[in-house]
Amino acid sequence: MTASLPAGLRERVMAATHQVRQAGQSVPEVSEDSPAEAFGHAADAFYQTLCSLTGDDWGLPVLRDLDVQGLVGHLIGVEDDVQRALAGDPGVASTDHVQSTQPAALRQAGRPTAGTREDWRRAADRTLAAVTGGDLDAVVALHGFPLRVRDLLVARTFELWTHENDIRTAAGLSLAAPAPSTLQPMTRLATALLPFGAVFTDLHEPVSVHLVLTGPGGGTWDVAVGDPSPEPAALGIVTDVVGFCRLFSNRIAPADLDVFVTGDPRLARSVLTAATALALD
Amino acid sequence: MEPTDPLWAARLAAGDDHALAEVFDHLAPTVYGAALRVLGEGAAAQDVVQDVFVELWRHPDRYDPKAGTLGTYLIVLARHRAVDLVRSELRRLARQERHYRLTPEGPGPTPSDAVTAADTADAVRAAVRLLPDDQRQVVELAYFQGLSYREVALATGIPEGTAKSRLRLALAKLESALDRQLLESP
Repeated sequence: MTASLPAGLRERVMAATHQVRQAGQSVPEVSEDSPAEAFGHAADAFYQTLCSLTGDDWGLPVLRDLDVQGLVGHLIGVEDDVQRALAGDPGVASTDHVQSTQPAALRQAGRPTAGTREDWRRAADRTLAAVTGGDLDAVVALHGFPLRVRDLLVARTFELWTHENDIRTAAGLSLAAPAPSTLQPMTRLATALLPFGAVFTDLHEPVSVHLVLTGPGGGTWDVAVGDPSPEPAALGIVTDVVGFCRLFSNRIAPADLDVFVTGDPRLARSVLTAATALALD
Repeated sequence: MEPTDPLWAARLAAGDDHALAEVFDHLAPTVYGAALRVLGEGAAAQDVVQDVFVELWRHPDRYDPKAGTLGTYLIVLARHRAVDLVRSELRRLARQERHYRLTPEGPGPTPSDAVTAADTADAVRAAVRLLPDDQRQVVELAYFQGLSYREVALATGIPEGTAKSRLRLALAKLESALDRQLLESP
């Protein structure tokens, strides 16, 4: 049996629901890692994956011209550059992410793999030590991006998780997903950077994106992308939180992401492409 | 990705207020209808609709798409809430009647209150009189004498589970029998 609703009931019910829970809040609530915790958890997970590799796995081709050992060397180089940036060294402000770290990657060839693994672990620990007690809102410049330290740590969380999965894929292991508590700062950063991704991909059309990331660690965001406008096009995008993070890391193409869209599908593709634009290899 | 119940559930859990509005527009007429069937017309059925959607928004994770459709889940919530309202009203009426019986010398109700109370009490008594003997007995013990399930079971010599099931049956019949005026009385 259905019945016509009395006038005003919809408004009354919507007002009552918003009194008990704000829009955007995911349920069940999960605690959110601090930026340093997120980076620490990603580093631990990366190290565990390295420890699970066989000797042969270290020689598998994984990314660009790098094998697994070379990729870990690249990350040793990244940690060195991060520490220089944190120390205020302008020499790493605008260097290229790959070129700057290629010498560290190439240095690993022929070394015992345990030496590479432990060198990386110590480098990651030095990064953590360098930010402990420091000003997380200080802005540092690294590889062409000025970022607050808190955002840099979360960006590095993305990088470690992404390369962990690069290695796991090369070694035939299942993909790893961050804990919901770690996903929260990752999604917060990814959604905050979406308008900048739109700038990089020349998406000027004003769009109000209602972005819903489902699953533990997800949430709902309303993000304005494109040129400012009083009447932006309304677009709704619903997708899985881990899938969106893989998209942001440029490890899945927009066309391969399982999404539910309300609004213009062409605009949705443009916005999803913008999400991939800030990923670094 | 298709707009299905699991997708609605996932969106609600993610805090998507657009999904809540969609679910309301899609299912609120059915929920309201379910509440009306128990309560009759009136503000009480609207309260039930509000309670159901507040519950869905506050605890979306309590809905399991594997267990059934979202529509069924909300209808069950609405019926439970409506029956709770009926039970609460019956208890209030029983308390009111006991109060009038036990305090004949007190300041007492106004003439208008007395007429209303007498009307509602008569309606309840009439509805209870229509019940089969075994169900009428447990209703009188539970609601007019305030006995617990266990005490009702002891007093009537039946297992506690039987007392509960007789009360449930009796309440279901009372809900049908009691008219809307009674349920909406202040």
